[in-house]
Amino acid sequence: MLEDDLRQIMADETARLRAAPDLVDRVIRSSRRRRTVRTRYVAVVAAAAVVGITIPTGLTLASGPAAVSGPAAAVVSPDTTGSAVPQPFEPPPLPTPSPTLDFGDLGDGKAFGRVKVGYLPDGLQWSHRSSDWGDAYTTSWNYDGDKNGFYCVQIFVQEGQAAQRSREAVQSYRDKSDGEEATIGDRTGYLVTQWVGEDGGKGTPTMFLDMGPERMAEIMFSPVFVKDLGTREAVERELKKIAEGLTATDGDPGTTSEAPAADGGDEGKDAEAPAGG
Amino acid sequence: MIGPDDDGFAAFVAARGTSLLRVAYLACGDDRDAEDLLQTALERTYRKWDRVRHDNPEPYVRRIIVNTAISRARRRAILRILPTHTPPELPVRETDVDLRHVLMDALRALPPRQRAVVVLRYWEDLGETQTAEILGCSAGTVKSQASKALTKLRSALGAESVEGLIRNVHA
Repeated sequence: MLEDDLRQIMADETARLRAAPDLVDRVIRSSRRRRTVRTRYVAVVAAAAVVGITIPTGLTLASGPAAVSGPAAAVVSPDTTGSAVPQPFEPPPLPTPSPTLDFGDLGDGKAFGRVKVGYLPDGLQWSHRSSDWGDAYTTSWNYDGDKNGFYCVQIFVQEGQAAQRSREAVQSYRDKSDGEEATIGDRTGYLVTQWVGEDGGKGTPTMFLDMGPERMAEIMFSPVFVKDLGTREAVERELKKIAEGLTATDGDPGTTSEAPAADGGDEGKDAEAPAGG
Repeated sequence: MIGPDDDGFAAFVAARGTSLLRVAYLACGDDRDAEDLLQTALERTYRKWDRVRHDNPEPYVRRIIVNTAISRARRRAILRILPTHTPPELPVRETDVDLRHVLMDALRALPPRQRAVVVLRYWEDLGETQTAEILGCSAGTVKSQASKALTKLRSALGAESVEGLIRNVHA
């Protein structure tokens, strides 16, 4: 039987694999380091707040020291004579993922990471699932809020270097003349149907939203949800409305311009039903 | 480095690490990704070890591995590398190794959820219900996905029957 043969092939293919002897050490070290880095970051932000220093946007968005951009910052501390002496500012490797690699309970799910969702189609609830990889994070919504249910709408946010990868993906679609440019309020987007491995579907309509130099968002509809929306026009309309309402919450000037709700009446409608439902 | 509280976790990893690494490899199709996938899953497990260790932690880790692999694939990290839009080209079948590569490539080229179903059903020998629980779908979906996956594997390998080819490999 094919199934038995598959088992044999898979066994042959994986026979050479062995877990590294230092795997346990690496896991424990990494887990502890994440906790430490997070604690350090909180301390740095608190200290910066005390001395009135603004941490450059680039620092809060970059995935590591190599990605740091923005003006050089300095922590000012008094020397022995009492005068202020600028000290080199050592940026922590930020942002770090949350300790659990997800965001925990997000309520209606509309505020996650460093963004806020202003509009969702009717009938959707937060799926109770999220992932946080630090410079990229995501959550989704579906009909029943079931953690194990299929998603209807999923939003990925990518920051710093991760955002650059997202831009490269858009450029790749552009190069192939796959998809189309979109205007989202005063921001730009790119609408394309991606093939992201959805079994049996016709692809995943996606709106790439440029949220500033350090941030990109991908708003995706599952093929199941696309069917329910019915028409291509409805799909595009809803994608654009979500994109218009998606804003940053961390003060990044390139991403906080609150776009008006599409059709002018969705804010109220959305407020009545959590997560658009 | 490892304290007394970590002994149980270390013992678990020592006992099941290789098996879980193989699941990770089959789920994502790449050595380095598999190692990263396993480490990620174990880190999450370690952080919840107090709660997880009282049950059987292996299904918990396996669930994280498979769902993280699907999630990452959906993020295109894997799909950009793998030729998922089209079936893999048929290589010249000169050796057993070539044939194995054909089938593994076909397995990698499956949509991530179908690939996960194949791994869980035919590698981990989980039932449809168990597989459905891990993937968060119905047993019927598992059944249909498994069927579609096998059809695609047959198709990717061309007109000749997979069974016959594989028997030749092991002959």
